[in-house]
Amino acid sequence: MSRPLGRVDRSMADKKPPEDALSDLRRRVDAARGDGASRNALAQSPASLAFRFGGEFGAAIIVGALLGYGADYFLHSSPWGLVIGFGLGFAAGIVNVVRVAQSFNNANPPNPNAPSIPDDDD
Amino acid sequence: MSNDPIHQFHINPISEPIHFGALDATFTNASLFMVAGVGLAAGFMWWAMKPAAVVPGRAQVVAEGAYSFIHSMVKDAAGEEGVKRFFPFVFTLFLFIFAANMLGMFPYFFTPTSQIVITATMALMVFFTVIVVGVAKNGFKFLKLFVPSGVPWYILWFVVIIEIISFFSRPLSHAVRLWANVLAGHLVLKVFAGFVPMMAAAGGVFVLGSILPLGMTVALYALEFLVAFLQAYVFALLTCIYLNDALHPGH
Repeated sequence: MSRPLGRVDRSMADKKPPEDALSDLRRRVDAARGDGASRNALAQSPASLAFRFGGEFGAAIIVGALLGYGADYFLHSSPWGLVIGFGLGFAAGIVNVVRVAQSFNNANPPNPNAPSIPDDDD
Repeated sequence: MSNDPIHQFHINPISEPIHFGALDATFTNASLFMVAGVGLAAGFMWWAMKPAAVVPGRAQVVAEGAYSFIHSMVKDAAGEEGVKRFFPFVFTLFLFIFAANMLGMFPYFFTPTSQIVITATMALMVFFTVIVVGVAKNGFKFLKLFVPSGVPWYILWFVVIIEIISFFSRPLSHAVRLWANVLAGHLVLKVFAGFVPMMAAAGGVFVLGSILPLGMTVALYALEFLVAFLQAYVFALLTCIYLNDALHPGH
């Protein structure tokens, strides 16, 4: 068992020092993998993406409403803080959803060669 | 009782009551499975990396694969500086959530990530890390996170308010996503599994029909394994995205 392995080691060591062989191997493995970046773009299921949209939207509304309610509590301005906070939370929720959609689109760029779909204006 | 789908989320003390002043630190089944999750993650990494061989064995390939998977994720989302500062934190979070989710897949086991207090604690940990590191590193420039550039002054105040609400909504959606996924998955699983004995007990043609919810339970179990991994991954990925804001607050 140890003999054939030893022979391989020696034949490799004849050509170049082991450090070079290792970094060379690392380079070839990285090249074969296409070097990270896209490898990590894990395909998310549509359901989990939908859940993410809903979660971001709802969370912002809840936080906005809570901040408004807190303002009411300290300023005794009920119910205006809650009303305004709710509306601002709604706006923040839309911002959150647009951000998620943007990052999703950046991670999964649409196919530039896809046939264009005619819309009503055309 | 055993057919109650909520029963699996009950927290029961398993030690004598322990109190630190007003703090109830009694060791419960949730504590037990959190310790088990930590032990599983740490124990596996220690055992798998013990040989530290140049040509890795199977376990070492898994351990190194997990390491480089999270490493490249942190690098993509937060850059080299993010790796230097936050990689251990993100890797620990990922391993703990993944181990806790996977332990929860065993029947009769408790799933710590199905408790919002646990996911919220982790999300708030990330939230405060972002604030502390962001302020320590950037000082007042950290507030640029709330002030996007290129916005005319007459709507800027409105945008700033919305950005602040958006920032504070992060820990909520961060915590709720993991918690709700795990909770809903385990509930659905238990409900469908509960149909099997109910139909079998009804007798007659229902005994044959009980094969249907059984098949559904098996299929859902497979889905839950996917969710267990995916939610740990998503939690770690969002952690990276948020931590990136601490390092580079400008939009």
